[in-house]
Amino acid sequence: MEKFLCPVIRRVIKAKKYMKTKIEKLKEEVLRELSEVKNSEHLKELELRYLSRKGEFSEIMHSLKDLSLELKKDLGLLANSAKVEIQEKFREIRMKFEKDSVKSSVLDVTLPGHKNTYGHLHPLTMVQNELEDLFTSLGFIIGDGPELESDYYNFTALNVDPLHPARDMQDTFYIDLPNNSGQYDLLMRTQTSPVQIRLMKKYGAPLKAIIPGRCFRNEATDARHEHTFYQFEGLMIGENINFANLKSLLELVGKKLFGENTKLRMRPKFFPFVEPGNNGEYTCFLCQGKGCRVCKHSGWLEIVGAGLVHPDVLRAGGIDPEKYSGLAFGFGLSRLVMLKYNITDVRLLNSGDLRFLEQF
Amino acid sequence: MYISLNWLKDFVSVPGKITPTDIAQRLTAHTAEVEGFVTQADQFNKVVVGRVLEVKKHPNADRLRLVLVDVKSEKLDIVCGAPNVAEGQLVPVALVGAVLPGGLEIKASEIRGEKSNGMICAEDELGLGQNHEGIMVLKDTAKPGDNFAKYLKAEDTVFELDNKSLSNRSDLLSHYGIARELAAIFDLKLNPVDKLLDNKMVFSEDKQNTLNVKIEDKKACLRYLAVKIDNIEIKESPAWLKDRLVAVNQRPINNIVDLTNYVMFELGQPLHAFTADTIDKIVVRLAASGEKIETLDEKERILSNEDLVISDGQNSLAIAGIMGGKNSGVTPSTTSIILESANFNAQFIRKTSQKLGLRSESSTRFEKSLDPLLTEVALKRFLSLLKKVLPKARIASPLTDVNNFQAEMKEIILDLDWLDKKIGQAISENESMANLKKLGFGVEKISERSLKVLIPSWRATKDVTIKEDLAEEILRLHGYDNIVSYLPQETLACPVPNHERLLERRVKSFLALKYSLNEVYNYSFVGEEQLKKLNIDFFKHLRLTNPSSENHAMLRQSLVPNLISNVKVNQARLEPFGFFEIGSVFLNAPGELPREATGLAVLPYQEKRLGIIVVGENQSVFDKLKSIVSGLTNYLFGLAGEPEFLELSDAPGWTTAQESAKINVLGREIGFLGLASKKTAANVNLKRSVAVLEINFSEVLSLVFSFGSEKFQEPARYPAIERDLAFVLDKKILYNEFRKEIARFNSLIERVELFDIYSGENLSDNEKSLAFHLSFRSPDRTLNSEEIDALIKNLLDYLREKFNARLR
Repeated sequence: MEKFLCPVIRRVIKAKKYMKTKIEKLKEEVLRELSEVKNSEHLKELELRYLSRKGEFSEIMHSLKDLSLELKKDLGLLANSAKVEIQEKFREIRMKFEKDSVKSSVLDVTLPGHKNTYGHLHPLTMVQNELEDLFTSLGFIIGDGPELESDYYNFTALNVDPLHPARDMQDTFYIDLPNNSGQYDLLMRTQTSPVQIRLMKKYGAPLKAIIPGRCFRNEATDARHEHTFYQFEGLMIGENINFANLKSLLELVGKKLFGENTKLRMRPKFFPFVEPGNNGEYTCFLCQGKGCRVCKHSGWLEIVGAGLVHPDVLRAGGIDPEKYSGLAFGFGLSRLVMLKYNITDVRLLNSGDLRFLEQF
Repeated sequence: MYISLNWLKDFVSVPGKITPTDIAQRLTAHTAEVEGFVTQADQFNKVVVGRVLEVKKHPNADRLRLVLVDVKSEKLDIVCGAPNVAEGQLVPVALVGAVLPGGLEIKASEIRGEKSNGMICAEDELGLGQNHEGIMVLKDTAKPGDNFAKYLKAEDTVFELDNKSLSNRSDLLSHYGIARELAAIFDLKLNPVDKLLDNKMVFSEDKQNTLNVKIEDKKACLRYLAVKIDNIEIKESPAWLKDRLVAVNQRPINNIVDLTNYVMFELGQPLHAFTADTIDKIVVRLAASGEKIETLDEKERILSNEDLVISDGQNSLAIAGIMGGKNSGVTPSTTSIILESANFNAQFIRKTSQKLGLRSESSTRFEKSLDPLLTEVALKRFLSLLKKVLPKARIASPLTDVNNFQAEMKEIILDLDWLDKKIGQAISENESMANLKKLGFGVEKISERSLKVLIPSWRATKDVTIKEDLAEEILRLHGYDNIVSYLPQETLACPVPNHERLLERRVKSFLALKYSLNEVYNYSFVGEEQLKKLNIDFFKHLRLTNPSSENHAMLRQSLVPNLISNVKVNQARLEPFGFFEIGSVFLNAPGELPREATGLAVLPYQEKRLGIIVVGENQSVFDKLKSIVSGLTNYLFGLAGEPEFLELSDAPGWTTAQESAKINVLGREIGFLGLASKKTAANVNLKRSVAVLEINFSEVLSLVFSFGSEKFQEPARYPAIERDLAFVLDKKILYNEFRKEIARFNSLIERVELFDIYSGENLSDNEKSLAFHLSFRSPDRTLNSEEIDALIKNLLDYLREKFNARLR
């Protein structure tokens, strides 16, 4: 039939046929080569030869640009679909090689990561931070005071009478620096409570404060006794502060320290700076109140001392006890840390022993 | 303190349904802590009656015997040292595992090669008396195998109360006082104290026999009652009396002494009996300085003029309220006594007892302030009981009563609205009144919501003085556990932040997490030896008057000594390590905080410091410490916080001027750092290189405040030109001096950063090379290299002239 067509058209058909064959041949060639490819280097070589910018497929595409629009369209489609098919094949083989290579290089996924060391905060710091966060979230300020105190702030202002046993030399460290009247009136504070007075004088009422800090008692040290220890106390003064409030705050503290199900019971107890005074016992966190070694089989742990601030103490702080009342509570932070981490020797806290410190 | 349930029942009838557990719990909840209770059967647990079957000589010891004892369940071999042991005796045997009242635990043992499975007990070993002459021989009615408590018919229950929780309640140091609480708590009837007294008691009316009592120091003795009793015969107490004393852990001695003790444990009033023979008058006076007395425990005591004694006008007979003297004590031959029932001032008793290290059941009571009215009741109770114990005894004198006190009742007005407000919930008027009355308070309603409350004498000595005390009485009987809790309701207010604490927290976390430093808490104390080894002058350190040990005798003025001690604890460790501490130091100089109410005098100066110590090999620890400093100051102050290390003129003794530097940040000195010198290392036996720094934490805080926050800076618009230059210069020239000159040479120089230090080959011995990255930048144009080359040339000229430095 061809011979009946005009020469131009004939030439066109011929060219089209030629190009079509060329494309198909190239495709077959590539597919054949690919079927024999042995490794990824060889594959890369082929990819470069056929598919790169100066590769054979690009050449064909390039040669199409002088053809008529119609031919360009037909042959372009053809060339493109061949190219896509070949690219797909390349991808398939490349993936197979990659898979093989992964299989052959053995990665022990169970190996440990690089060891990074870091330093440790002291357990007292950690527990103190936790408590500070609780109380600051309730609007309490964190009060500080001097560790070297005067007899006045540590005892007299707190309604501790002059012959109270705590004032004895054997219980309190006095500083060898007598005052003008020759009395030893400087000491290492035996409690954080003198800060109550300093805070009252500074801020007046109403007042909400916690006071964590280092305290000292003249005791021979052993596994259960330390002359240097930490206390944590709370103070709240307002026009309507009452015993029910105190009880509620103590319940809150117990839950924070030992968990939501912790129960509180309060017992009368004498402290010179509060009236009424009480202690607070919490259900033992270890046995949940069933009785164990830690709570000496009672199911309860005596943790906190508390009460309503004695009017003389408010007065010493410059606050009118007829207008305001206050609640106060305190506990041994060192003891709490020991309970929390099951530390059996209090001296470890001040030991500077890395084998201890690194555990926190 | 021990409280016998049987004894309590003398004053209050306890219904059977109230168990010892109930009593212990309720007393703890409402009055004072009961630590526990034991039945006497428990107390003599594993002590049984045995029959001696056989007694043989011990082959290896002359004084010991081998005894075979039948305790019904088995036959035991026991080695016994008592001379009186004999076949056929019935004896108390403590079996293996028994714990005797003195705390002795019986174990199976071998004594000189012979087995011994238990112990045959003497009276004193069982807490039943003084006798240690030999083993206790029981009556024929004893049955081998029976529990010893059963033999004694001891069926009491004994409560132990925590002494600390009684410290403000002198009225509770007695059975009657506890019975009063029990009656109030359980709503039981309390027998009045009068019922304990013989109402037919007659004192002698013969004025000639009146005892002559004189109180020299009226403040020291509020009341002194004395009576003379004849026809005394000292002998063993009857069983009922002994049983009671044994129950409360008091060893029976003889009828008179036991009776004084009995009344003390019953009513809380200590009594004392003197042998009357040689005493014709009694003077309560302060001792002469250096006066000596031999006390009943056979120890000589030296007194001062602050100690109160009872004397016969010349010799002291007793240390008042604490212990009697040997010279006037009751002896087996005593036939006449003077009975003392007195009230001594608590402060005197406390001071003397404290100073002499001599505490007795009597002094513990007096030092808590006793009720002066109790003296008379107690004396009469003694006489009433004496009639029972020794009927032939005869009151030989009128009652002498010398007193210096007012017996009027103090009153407090209690506003019930105030009470409700204080407690946080309403307690009915009836309950409030009833609770007070049960405890012996007089209560009278004076207006709609107001009560007049009279304080009973036994609570008025010290313990109850203000309305808050009454609130406690009402509340504790109501029960703390019955109060419905609720959180304070208040106006919201923003708390003042504690900036120091916040900064402390940031710094601690940064040092731990970034530099792997561990936080330590060291003691606030240091010792002379410690400081000597570190070559630190301790002359000005504050000292404790009463240190717990020489190592903790002074207050620290620096965190460094104890940080160095921390190294010693850990230096066996191979890897490098480091610590930090934030803590206070104490200087012997006036501080800022007031010392007393008036605020004129001040406390010594106290300052918070940060100490860091780094341990490793050679001088690298010094560099490491410096990188920690710049890390920290950059963290706190951003790029502006680059620290400067400057020469230190007054290096502390543990380092040297050549190995230490002060630290400046933002132009302020904040602290210093140094290498522990070779001498220090040798003195304290440091095996590793150690670098330490100490920073004034309060100074850092004030810098943080004044610095505020860094402001954002537009990134530079024009490129920088970078040049690396290495200089050769004399080793003595300090980096900081040299760098400063480069940095300020021209405003186009933006950055001068050291990247290498070299000395050695190609340099002479006294030379070093410092290599810097220099970067040049102009804020308003692009620089060209020709002008930089020219600038560098000028710089080189300048440095040559100034430092004799050359390019390498």
